[in-house]
Amino acid sequence: MTTTAPADDITGEMVEPVVIKRRPGRMLFGLGVGIAVLLVGLAIPYVLTDTYRMSLVLDATILSMLALGIGFLARHLGMISLGHGAFFGVSAYAVGVGITNWGWSPLTAVGFGILVGSATALLMGVLVVRASGFGFLMLTLALSQALYQLSVQISARPWTGAHDGKLIAYEPDMTFLGLTQADLINPGLYWPFAWSALVISGIVLWMVGRSKFGTTLEGIRENEERMRFSGYNTFLPRLVAFVLSGAVASLGGALFALNAGYISPQILGFTQAGDSLIAALIGGFGIILGPVLGTFLFVYAQANFNFGGNLHLLTGIALIVVLVFMPGGITGALQKLSRRIRGKERR
Amino acid sequence: MNAAQVLNGLALGSLLMVLSSGLAMIYGLRGVANFAHGALYMSGAYIAYSVSDRMSFGAAIVIVPLALAVIGVVLELCFFRPLQHRSHIELGLITFGLALIVERVVILVWGEKTLRVVPPEFLQGTSTVFGVEYPSYRLAIIVIALALAAGLILWLRLSTVGLHIRAASQDIETASIMGINVDKVSLIVVSLGSALAGLAGTLAAPYIALDPGMGNAFLITVLIVVVVGGIGSIAGAMIAGMGLGLIQTLSTVWSPSFAVLVPYLALTIVLLWRPTGLAGKRIS
Repeated sequence: MTTTAPADDITGEMVEPVVIKRRPGRMLFGLGVGIAVLLVGLAIPYVLTDTYRMSLVLDATILSMLALGIGFLARHLGMISLGHGAFFGVSAYAVGVGITNWGWSPLTAVGFGILVGSATALLMGVLVVRASGFGFLMLTLALSQALYQLSVQISARPWTGAHDGKLIAYEPDMTFLGLTQADLINPGLYWPFAWSALVISGIVLWMVGRSKFGTTLEGIRENEERMRFSGYNTFLPRLVAFVLSGAVASLGGALFALNAGYISPQILGFTQAGDSLIAALIGGFGIILGPVLGTFLFVYAQANFNFGGNLHLLTGIALIVVLVFMPGGITGALQKLSRRIRGKERR
Repeated sequence: MNAAQVLNGLALGSLLMVLSSGLAMIYGLRGVANFAHGALYMSGAYIAYSVSDRMSFGAAIVIVPLALAVIGVVLELCFFRPLQHRSHIELGLITFGLALIVERVVILVWGEKTLRVVPPEFLQGTSTVFGVEYPSYRLAIIVIALALAAGLILWLRLSTVGLHIRAASQDIETASIMGINVDKVSLIVVSLGSALAGLAGTLAAPYIALDPGMGNAFLITVLIVVVVGGIGSIAGAMIAGMGLGLIQTLSTVWSPSFAVLVPYLALTIVLLWRPTGLAGKRIS
């Protein structure tokens, strides 16, 4: 590392350094809150009876897992990835191949999808986690784009459908944990799986972030060289964090494939990776909810403000406004605001 | 493999060379990978379409780089200068947002359908080189790009401004302590870099069809070229651009599926083998 290297790292403005007090009480409290959120959220289909709105909420929930993975890496390691779309996409394709080409049951295929997605993350991770800053961004972008190029090759047609995309075809009597193919595309019935997957991933990532391992990661983020000199292996923790965040994205991709029933080749494209990163950035990396909030806002904007295809004009403006004026994203700005209010009350 | 294929490779390499030298200059000085570079290139091509429609292609070659240089000045004054103390990644992501906006604005102005630009009449035919008939316009691209590259390198090596640019690209803080007006240097570099993107767009306009996705398609390749060439090294980016253009075109003949992967493979191999790129001096 040269002396100019820290300029590439994200410290200070984008990720507020938080002093973590590791008390078991707080962990249990957080776990309790998480389980409560999980149970309350299961009731959403009963409140939101409009199928269109429900399907939007479901889409946002599934895409949130991708943003959650990106946010975890950014928060704990300061690494901005443009390649997590690859794990989401590869996992979705693997589910499609398992069900359509090999006639597997959807449950087995989902397991296979997560496995293949995570294995992709492991392979990519070995190559990229040593890089930092722009090197990391470029490598993740390049490797995921290489996968995209592979997926649209004519020779890949039996597996991915190339540019036509992949339609998932089930055997008539197949079910996924009791849901038939028609039930899987019904947002109300599919909701419990997507919601539980998101909340449980969120809880797991939150707990990992607060564990000793999470503290090690933050040490590496702040000063990789010093951690190495203090006797820590800095490669393995980064690799584990990368694979973990890739596994969460893979889970999202597998659930996406079941619900959508069709995988567009754009899933591995530059735009998808960029959109998820933008959503996560706008939500803010400071807390675990940030990327999720950002994704919900993004899906909402996509559904309501996409008149004449102007979505990217708006997301571009939103991205610049957020980065220039509130570098911690929306949740970061809210945190700052609440801290200021609380600070005033104390005086 | 025949001469025409080699010339095709040279033509693609020439475009990559012009485009990546602009990006490399900005990257070297500001430390920011300008994700808006593809959008600048695309808007250059579209402006060239309008100018050559109303006036002539010759006028476009002059007007478009000037127009893009003005955009570069705006870019420097509104974003790069006020935000220079932010982390480079943040600034890079801001240019990513700018690219999204520019892309949409281009579609709103020129529409989504594919447009074509006609090269000037005396370049419309073919010429005989190395025993093959080859489109004259592509030869002109190669000649212009090589002349430009030589001129740029000489200017950087021999002029005082060039010396200042090289100094500031090595170490911007020390350069400013030594009395170099870094703001002025940066203004020159960013506007020149944008002008080069505009020139590349103009040169590409009659060569490839114009569509709103053309910027993104090239952006990733050009970013790869700059990183492979070595961050901050303009000559490295030029050589890498030309090399990648040649390898990609020639491997298309051999195996098209392999050819699309060439830039990604090149980036991965180079970054793993030499993290600072082929010509990068600063070893990390």
